[in-house]
Amino acid sequence: MPDLRALPALADRTPLVSHGIRLSPLPEGTVLQMIVGPDAPDQTANVERLANESGLAARPLSPGQWLLIGDKPTRRADMKHLLAALEPQASGIDQSHGRVRMRLEGPMAVKVLAKGTAVDLNQRAFPPGRSVATLIGHIAAHLTRHDVEDFEIAVLRGLAEACWIDLAGMCEEFV
Amino acid sequence: MASLVPCPHCGSRPKEEFTIKGAALARPAPDADPDSWFHYVYLRENPRGAYEEYWHHTAGCRRWLIVCRDTVTHQVNTSQDAAAAKGQAA
Repeated sequence: MPDLRALPALADRTPLVSHGIRLSPLPEGTVLQMIVGPDAPDQTANVERLANESGLAARPLSPGQWLLIGDKPTRRADMKHLLAALEPQASGIDQSHGRVRMRLEGPMAVKVLAKGTAVDLNQRAFPPGRSVATLIGHIAAHLTRHDVEDFEIAVLRGLAEACWIDLAGMCEEFV
Repeated sequence: MASLVPCPHCGSRPKEEFTIKGAALARPAPDADPDSWFHYVYLRENPRGAYEEYWHHTAGCRRWLIVCRDTVTHQVNTSQDAAAAKGQAA
């Protein structure tokens, strides 16, 4: 049996820190994608309840789709329960291996992000607590605003390093 | 080409986030005559003015949209979810 060890995608990246900006990798905990069937009634309340019960945060991805995100890995048995919890109205897919998260915070965070994405980052258009799916450079990303100057970025694992390098470049003038 | 597209789910987004399929035409019945299918597959109008197309918001909500744009002014007049437009659940 070969020795297979799970390595975080951004394992060798140390946080980029200055007084204006901070870019740091987030732990690869739990990422669960929930998809509602085309004919199912609105599941927003159910998805949010499920997330609350399991200590995850439900973040909208698109109409009828959410990412349930947590910092800690979910045990296999709990995950099995989560995936089937809303059947047959909605199905869950474990994406813990597939999405990597990073955090961009500080007074210059908006200026940095504005170089890469065309989403309106004004607080009125994109208030804290809201999530959007967009492009950062050429990389599809899921962006969540935790606070006015605090963003979380989730990208596909294979693009995590490229996204990090892009963001680091965008941060350069403030480091 | 319109550079800002108003997505009904995501708001105003740049065209780079979208993939364009082409004219939004009604698909003929499977057993329709060959002429209807030939027309549907190969023949396109090239109107000066309003034009309805299928756009996929690939890097956003990943929904198919019907975008109506003006081929002269590049202005996007309307955009709506394609499934909703067909009367299905969005």
